[in-house]
Amino acid sequence: MNWDGTLSSSEFRIAALAFIEKWNRFISTSPPQWSWALSPKRPWIAAHEAEGYLLLENVFLPGSSEEDHDQVNDRGKQEPSCSGQDDTIDSTILVQSHHDEMHRYDFHIVYSMSYKVPVLYFRGYCSDGQPLVLNDIEKDLPGNSAKLLMESKWTFITQEEHPYLNRPWYTLHPCGTSEWMKLLISTDASRDKHQVEFENYLVSWLSVVGQVVGLRIPFEMLKDSGSCS
Amino acid sequence: MASESSNSARKVVVHLRATGDAPILKQAKFKIGGTDKFAKVIDFLRRQLHRETLFVYVNSAFSPNPDELVIDLYNNFGFDGKLVVNYACSMAWG
Repeated sequence: MNWDGTLSSSEFRIAALAFIEKWNRFISTSPPQWSWALSPKRPWIAAHEAEGYLLLENVFLPGSSEEDHDQVNDRGKQEPSCSGQDDTIDSTILVQSHHDEMHRYDFHIVYSMSYKVPVLYFRGYCSDGQPLVLNDIEKDLPGNSAKLLMESKWTFITQEEHPYLNRPWYTLHPCGTSEWMKLLISTDASRDKHQVEFENYLVSWLSVVGQVVGLRIPFEMLKDSGSCS
Repeated sequence: MASESSNSARKVVVHLRATGDAPILKQAKFKIGGTDKFAKVIDFLRRQLHRETLFVYVNSAFSPNPDELVIDLYNNFGFDGKLVVNYACSMAWG
Protein backbone atom coordinates (compact mmCIF):
# COMPACT_ATOMS: atom_id res chain seq x y z
CA MET A 1 0.00 0.00 0.00
CA ASN A 2 1.26 3.45 -0.83
CA TRP A 3 2.15 5.84 1.90
CA ASP A 4 -0.76 8.14 2.79
CA GLY A 5 1.20 11.21 3.82
CA THR A 6 0.75 10.76 7.56
CA LEU A 7 3.14 9.79 10.33
CA SER A 8 2.84 8.26 13.78
CA SER A 9 3.66 10.20 16.93
CA SER A 10 7.01 8.43 17.28
CA GLU A 11 7.81 9.16 13.63
CA PHE A 12 6.92 12.77 14.32
CA ARG A 13 9.47 12.82 17.11
CA ILE A 14 12.14 11.38 14.80
CA ALA A 15 11.24 13.94 12.15
CA ALA A 16 11.30 16.76 14.70
CA LEU A 17 14.73 15.90 16.08
CA ALA A 18 16.15 15.56 12.56
CA PHE A 19 14.62 18.92 11.70
CA ILE A 20 16.19 20.64 14.71
CA GLU A 21 19.58 19.16 13.88
CA LYS A 22 19.29 20.37 10.30
CA TRP A 23 18.02 23.81 11.22
CA ASN A 24 20.87 24.33 13.67
CA ARG A 25 23.38 23.15 11.11
CA PHE A 26 22.25 25.59 8.43
CA ILE A 27 21.07 28.47 10.55
CA SER A 28 23.54 28.26 13.37
CA THR A 29 24.54 31.90 13.30
CA SER A 30 21.25 33.65 13.67
CA PRO A 31 18.53 33.01 16.19
CA PRO A 32 15.75 32.04 16.51
CA GLN A 33 16.30 28.31 16.84
CA TRP A 34 13.80 25.53 16.91
CA SER A 35 13.83 23.35 19.96
CA TRP A 36 11.98 20.36 21.33
CA ALA A 37 9.72 20.91 24.30
CA LEU A 38 8.59 18.01 26.41
CA SER A 39 4.89 18.16 27.00
CA PRO A 40 3.75 18.73 30.55
CA LYS A 41 3.11 15.47 32.34
CA ARG A 42 -0.47 14.37 32.08
CA PRO A 43 -1.29 11.60 34.54
CA TRP A 44 -4.12 10.18 32.45
CA ILE A 45 -1.82 9.44 29.54
CA ALA A 46 0.56 6.50 29.66
CA ALA A 47 4.10 7.81 29.93
CA HIS A 48 5.61 5.10 27.76
CA GLU A 49 6.95 7.70 25.40
CA ALA A 50 8.19 11.23 25.89
CA GLU A 51 5.64 13.36 24.13
CA GLY A 52 6.52 16.83 22.99
CA TYR A 53 6.38 19.49 20.33
CA LEU A 54 8.66 21.80 18.37
CA LEU A 55 8.85 25.43 19.30
CA LEU A 56 10.31 28.61 17.83
CA GLU A 57 9.67 31.66 19.94
CA ASN A 58 10.23 35.42 19.95
CA VAL A 59 10.23 35.73 16.18
CA PHE A 60 9.86 39.19 14.71
CA LEU A 61 7.85 39.00 11.56
CA PRO A 62 8.68 41.58 8.93
CA GLY A 63 5.84 43.65 7.59
CA SER A 64 4.28 44.61 10.87
CA SER A 65 6.16 47.88 11.20
CA GLU A 66 4.33 50.10 8.74
CA GLU A 67 0.90 49.60 10.19
CA ASP A 68 -0.48 51.73 12.90
CA HIS A 69 -1.45 49.32 15.61
CA ASP A 70 -2.80 51.57 18.28
CA GLN A 71 -6.22 50.01 17.87
CA VAL A 72 -4.79 46.95 19.52
CA ASN A 73 -5.44 48.24 22.97
CA ASP A 74 -9.04 49.11 22.20
CA ARG A 75 -9.67 45.59 21.12
CA GLY A 76 -7.85 44.03 24.02
CA LYS A 77 -11.00 42.94 25.74
CA GLN A 78 -12.23 40.98 22.77
CA GLU A 79 -9.33 38.62 23.07
CA PRO A 80 -10.49 35.52 24.94
CA SER A 81 -8.79 35.77 28.25
CA CYS A 82 -6.53 32.98 29.29
CA SER A 83 -5.87 34.23 32.77
CA GLY A 84 -9.33 33.38 33.98
CA GLN A 85 -10.08 36.87 35.20
CA ASP A 86 -9.81 40.08 33.28
CA ASP A 87 -8.16 41.78 36.21
CA THR A 88 -4.91 42.08 34.31
CA ILE A 89 -6.47 44.65 31.99
CA ASP A 90 -5.86 47.86 33.81
CA SER A 91 -6.37 51.00 31.79
CA THR A 92 -3.66 52.85 33.68
CA ILE A 93 -0.96 50.60 32.32
CA LEU A 94 -2.14 50.59 28.73
CA VAL A 95 0.38 52.54 26.76
CA GLN A 96 -0.36 53.64 23.23
CA SER A 97 1.54 51.59 20.70
CA HIS A 98 4.20 53.26 18.64
CA HIS A 99 4.28 53.27 14.90
CA ASP A 100 7.50 51.33 14.80
CA GLU A 101 6.44 48.67 17.22
CA MET A 102 7.29 45.16 16.12
CA HIS A 103 5.12 42.18 16.81
CA ARG A 104 6.63 39.01 18.18
CA TYR A 105 5.38 35.56 17.33
CA ASP A 106 5.65 32.13 18.90
CA PHE A 107 5.36 29.08 16.66
CA HIS A 108 4.72 25.56 17.88
CA ILE A 109 4.56 22.45 15.73
CA VAL A 110 2.33 19.95 17.46
CA TYR A 111 1.47 16.44 16.36
CA SER A 112 -2.22 15.92 15.70
CA MET A 113 -3.45 12.55 16.91
CA SER A 114 -6.59 12.77 14.82
CA TYR A 115 -5.02 13.85 11.51
CA LYS A 116 -1.67 12.12 12.10
CA VAL A 117 0.23 15.10 10.72
CA PRO A 118 2.08 18.07 12.26
CA VAL A 119 -0.04 21.15 12.94
CA LEU A 120 1.21 24.71 13.32
CA TYR A 121 0.01 26.64 16.36
CA PHE A 122 1.01 30.27 16.75
CA ARG A 123 0.33 33.43 18.66
CA GLY A 124 1.44 37.01 18.28
CA TYR A 125 1.86 39.75 20.81
CA CYS A 126 3.05 43.31 21.18
CA SER A 127 6.20 44.23 23.02
CA ASP A 128 4.13 44.92 26.12
CA GLY A 129 2.83 41.36 26.06
CA GLN A 130 -0.62 42.25 24.80
CA PRO A 131 -1.83 39.35 22.61
CA LEU A 132 -2.78 40.12 19.03
CA VAL A 133 -6.21 39.32 17.67
CA LEU A 134 -6.62 37.79 14.23
CA ASN A 135 -7.32 41.14 12.58
CA ASP A 136 -3.92 42.38 13.72
CA ILE A 137 -2.14 39.16 12.83
CA GLU A 138 -3.66 39.38 9.38
CA LYS A 139 -1.71 42.58 8.74
CA ASP A 140 1.55 40.81 9.54
CA LEU A 141 0.93 37.89 7.20
CA PRO A 142 2.20 37.77 3.61
CA GLY A 143 -0.26 39.04 0.98
CA ASN A 144 -1.23 35.58 -0.22
CA SER A 145 -2.25 34.47 3.25
CA ALA A 146 -4.35 37.54 3.88
CA LYS A 147 -6.19 36.78 0.65
CA LEU A 148 -6.72 33.15 1.62
CA LEU A 149 -7.94 34.23 5.00
CA MET A 150 -10.62 36.38 3.41
CA GLU A 151 -11.78 33.57 1.15
CA SER A 152 -11.89 30.78 3.66
CA LYS A 153 -12.30 32.39 7.00
CA TRP A 154 -13.27 29.34 8.99
CA THR A 155 -11.19 26.58 7.55
CA PHE A 156 -7.80 28.24 7.17
CA ILE A 157 -6.74 29.92 10.41
CA THR A 158 -8.84 29.23 13.46
CA GLN A 159 -8.42 29.70 17.16
CA GLU A 160 -8.20 26.51 19.14
CA GLU A 161 -6.96 25.29 22.43
CA HIS A 162 -3.26 24.48 22.40
CA PRO A 163 -3.18 20.73 23.07
CA TYR A 164 -0.44 21.01 25.68
CA LEU A 165 -0.75 24.52 27.03
CA ASN A 166 -4.56 24.58 27.20
CA ARG A 167 -4.78 28.16 26.02
CA PRO A 168 -6.27 29.59 22.86
CA TRP A 169 -3.71 29.71 20.04
CA TYR A 170 -4.20 30.24 16.34
CA THR A 171 -3.80 27.19 14.17
CA LEU A 172 -3.73 26.22 10.50
CA HIS A 173 -6.28 23.64 9.61
CA PRO A 174 -4.55 20.32 8.82
CA CYS A 175 -7.18 18.55 6.75
CA GLY A 176 -5.25 18.93 3.48
CA THR A 177 -1.80 18.27 4.92
CA SER A 178 -1.43 14.56 4.24
CA GLU A 179 -2.48 15.06 0.60
CA TRP A 180 0.24 17.56 -0.23
CA MET A 181 2.80 15.83 1.95
CA LYS A 182 2.27 12.77 -0.21
CA LEU A 183 3.25 14.86 -3.21
CA LEU A 184 6.29 16.35 -1.52
CA ILE A 185 7.77 13.23 -0.01
CA SER A 186 6.78 10.48 -2.35
CA THR A 187 6.31 10.95 -6.05
CA ASP A 188 7.55 7.46 -6.61
CA ALA A 189 4.42 5.34 -6.54
CA SER A 190 6.32 2.23 -5.64
CA ARG A 191 7.55 3.69 -2.40
CA ASP A 192 5.78 2.27 0.61
CA LYS A 193 5.55 3.56 4.13
CA HIS A 194 8.65 1.82 5.36
CA GLN A 195 10.86 3.60 2.91
CA VAL A 196 9.62 7.09 3.61
CA GLU A 197 12.37 9.33 4.90
CA PHE A 198 10.90 11.07 7.88
CA GLU A 199 14.07 13.09 8.40
CA ASN A 200 12.96 15.39 5.61
CA TYR A 201 9.28 15.44 6.45
CA LEU A 202 9.28 18.66 8.45
CA VAL A 203 11.48 20.60 6.04
CA SER A 204 9.04 19.85 3.24
CA TRP A 205 6.11 20.53 5.54
CA LEU A 206 7.49 23.89 6.66
CA SER A 207 8.12 24.94 3.05
CA VAL A 208 4.34 25.02 2.67
CA VAL A 209 3.23 26.08 6.13
CA GLY A 210 5.99 28.67 6.49
CA GLN A 211 4.65 30.55 3.47
CA VAL A 212 1.43 31.24 5.32
CA VAL A 213 3.10 32.95 8.27
CA GLY A 214 6.20 34.30 6.54
CA LEU A 215 8.80 31.82 7.79
CA ARG A 216 11.49 31.15 5.20
CA ILE A 217 13.71 28.12 4.80
CA PRO A 218 17.16 28.70 3.28
CA PHE A 219 17.91 27.00 -0.04
CA GLU A 220 20.87 25.13 1.42
CA MET A 221 18.55 23.36 3.80
CA LEU A 222 16.06 22.54 1.06
CA LYS A 223 18.83 21.24 -1.17
CA ASP A 224 20.03 18.98 1.57
CA SER A 225 16.55 17.48 1.78
CA GLY A 226 15.93 17.11 -1.93
CA SER A 227 14.87 13.67 -2.96
CA CYS A 228 17.21 12.63 -5.70
CA SER A 229 15.17 11.37 -8.59
CA MET B 1 25.04 40.54 -5.39
CA ALA B 2 25.86 43.25 -7.91
CA SER B 3 28.27 41.00 -9.77
CA GLU B 4 25.45 38.56 -10.43
CA SER B 5 23.36 41.06 -12.32
CA SER B 6 24.38 39.76 -15.74
CA ASN B 7 23.65 36.24 -14.60
CA SER B 8 20.19 37.02 -13.26
CA ALA B 9 19.20 38.87 -16.43
CA ARG B 10 19.19 35.60 -18.34
CA LYS B 11 16.10 33.59 -19.14
CA VAL B 12 15.26 30.35 -17.44
CA VAL B 13 13.52 27.41 -19.10
CA VAL B 14 10.70 26.17 -16.87
CA HIS B 15 9.32 22.70 -17.44
CA LEU B 16 5.80 22.25 -16.05
CA ARG B 17 4.99 18.71 -15.00
CA ALA B 18 1.46 17.63 -14.07
CA THR B 19 1.00 15.23 -11.17
CA GLY B 20 -2.06 13.37 -9.95
CA ASP B 21 -5.17 14.28 -11.88
CA ALA B 22 -3.91 17.70 -12.96
CA PRO B 23 -4.43 18.38 -16.67
CA ILE B 24 -1.32 18.33 -18.85
CA LEU B 25 -0.57 21.61 -20.59
CA LYS B 26 -0.14 21.79 -24.35
CA GLN B 27 2.86 23.99 -23.80
CA ALA B 28 4.72 22.39 -20.94
CA LYS B 29 7.93 24.37 -21.44
CA PHE B 30 8.31 28.09 -21.37
CA LYS B 31 10.95 30.74 -20.83
CA ILE B 32 10.79 33.26 -18.06
CA GLY B 33 13.08 36.06 -16.95
CA GLY B 34 15.46 35.07 -14.16
CA THR B 35 14.61 38.19 -12.21
CA ASP B 36 10.91 37.31 -12.22
CA LYS B 37 9.43 35.98 -9.04
CA PHE B 38 8.17 32.44 -8.73
CA ALA B 39 4.71 33.95 -8.25
CA LYS B 40 4.71 34.58 -12.00
CA VAL B 41 5.05 30.85 -12.68
CA ILE B 42 2.13 30.15 -10.33
CA ASP B 43 0.03 32.84 -12.00
CA PHE B 44 0.83 31.40 -15.41
CA LEU B 45 -0.34 27.98 -14.27
CA ARG B 46 -3.50 29.39 -12.73
CA ARG B 47 -4.39 31.15 -15.96
CA GLN B 48 -3.61 28.14 -18.13
CA LEU B 49 -5.56 25.73 -15.96
CA HIS B 50 -8.33 28.16 -14.95
CA ARG B 51 -7.91 27.18 -11.35
CA GLU B 52 -7.39 29.37 -8.34
CA THR B 53 -6.06 26.66 -6.06
CA LEU B 54 -3.00 24.80 -7.17
CA PHE B 55 -0.26 23.04 -5.33
CA VAL B 56 3.07 23.88 -6.94
CA TYR B 57 6.35 22.28 -5.91
CA VAL B 58 9.93 21.75 -6.97
CA ASN B 59 12.36 18.86 -6.73
CA SER B 60 9.63 16.66 -5.25
CA ALA B 61 10.63 18.08 -1.94
CA PHE B 62 9.31 21.54 -1.25
CA SER B 63 6.95 24.31 -2.29
CA PRO B 64 8.87 27.48 -3.16
CA ASN B 65 7.89 30.79 -1.65
CA PRO B 66 6.18 32.93 -4.34
CA ASP B 67 8.69 35.71 -3.58
CA GLU B 68 11.72 33.65 -4.61
CA LEU B 69 13.46 34.69 -7.81
CA VAL B 70 13.27 32.19 -10.64
CA ILE B 71 17.04 32.44 -11.21
CA ASP B 72 17.75 31.54 -7.58
CA LEU B 73 15.53 28.48 -7.84
CA TYR B 74 17.18 27.52 -11.12
CA ASN B 75 20.69 27.93 -9.72
CA ASN B 76 19.87 25.74 -6.73
CA PHE B 77 17.41 23.21 -8.08
CA GLY B 78 17.65 23.32 -11.86
CA PHE B 79 19.26 20.58 -13.90
CA ASP B 80 19.74 19.80 -17.60
CA GLY B 81 19.31 23.51 -18.31
CA LYS B 82 15.81 23.74 -16.93
CA LEU B 83 13.80 24.15 -13.76
CA VAL B 84 11.19 21.42 -13.33
CA VAL B 85 8.03 22.65 -11.61
CA ASN B 86 5.41 20.09 -10.58
CA TYR B 87 1.79 21.03 -10.12
CA ALA B 88 -1.24 19.29 -8.70
CA CYS B 89 -4.82 20.39 -8.31
CA SER B 90 -5.00 19.70 -4.60
CA MET B 91 -5.68 22.49 -2.18
CA ALA B 92 -3.19 23.31 0.47
CA TRP B 93 -5.83 24.76 2.79
CA GLY B 94 -9.43 23.62 2.83
